[in-house]
Amino acid sequence: MFADSSIKKLLIVDDSKVSRMLIRTHILAQHPDWIISEAISGEEAITLVDNDLPDYCTMDINMPGIPGTDAAERILAKHPSIKIVIFSANIQEAHHKRARSLGTILVAKPVTEKSIVLAINYFIDSE
Amino acid sequence: MNQLNELHIDALVEIFSIGAGRAALSLSEIVSDEVRISVPSVQVISTKNINSTSLSLSCGPFGAVTQHFSGPFNAETVLLFNEEQALKIVSDMMGSQMSLGELAQFEHEAMCELGNIILNACLSAMADVLNFTLESSLPHYTVASADEILHRLKKNANQPYVLVLHIDLAIEKRSTAGNLVFLLSSTSLTNLVHHIDHFLSNFA
Repeated sequence: MFADSSIKKLLIVDDSKVSRMLIRTHILAQHPDWIISEAISGEEAITLVDNDLPDYCTMDINMPGIPGTDAAERILAKHPSIKIVIFSANIQEAHHKRARSLGTILVAKPVTEKSIVLAINYFIDSE
Repeated sequence: MNQLNELHIDALVEIFSIGAGRAALSLSEIVSDEVRISVPSVQVISTKNINSTSLSLSCGPFGAVTQHFSGPFNAETVLLFNEEQALKIVSDMMGSQMSLGELAQFEHEAMCELGNIILNACLSAMADVLNFTLESSLPHYTVASADEILHRLKKNANQPYVLVLHIDLAIEKRSTAGNLVFLLSSTSLTNLVHHIDHFLSNFA
């Protein structure tokens, strides 16, 4: 038996339960077979990724503990195959640049069907 | 009294963080530098229980930008910053080497503009996420002591609730903390909760 390669594992990293709910709902509406896990901080995300490597990750920036961009940098240094989208309300150019420098993209909150499509397209196009 | 549960507060913090992000983008384009605005907490308290501690009114005078919003719920909003700190931020916004004395001449317009950007960014984020329309009045700026502000907030018996957002604002090397206060009637608070519930029901 081979694992179905179309089934992807996604890690949602956000300290807001509402945001995690929104991202999960929108993603599952388009890809009901994806396996989704959640972390509420950058530190928790780093631990989870080490234990169970996801294909994709959405990462908030402003969270208690380390910023999401720092967590993304540490995760990508160790696991460069993961595709990460930074989901943030902080949409200044400085953050877009930081996201690009990490090899990720920044998608502006609020989480909507449209912003989720941007994230999914980035994930799939990066394959 | 407090009709907002943990999930409502989570949703409001997230909505106002989006608003803060929009305001930071607008202000960063004005000062050509990175601006940090965050909303570390949101709380609902009874108007009669508000005091200088709940609004962090430790040393004044304070600059207050007031604006009325109307729509599915009505709110009188008051953005409060320590006047001296706010003036320094306004100085950065205007990109000049003016002294604080000279700047005082422009205080009214500049503070209204700062307030207008932050208030409308927060309210437009709420309207977009919760899918309704809010109309706003022109901003009005006053300078007042802590006692005067508290007296003004408490005098209107038709608005027994206040929604308080604590705001941290940093432009270049300057930083300050302020509060955004929403004065709400019982009906307006109930309507706001109803809209948040409706929004959350799509994702429960």
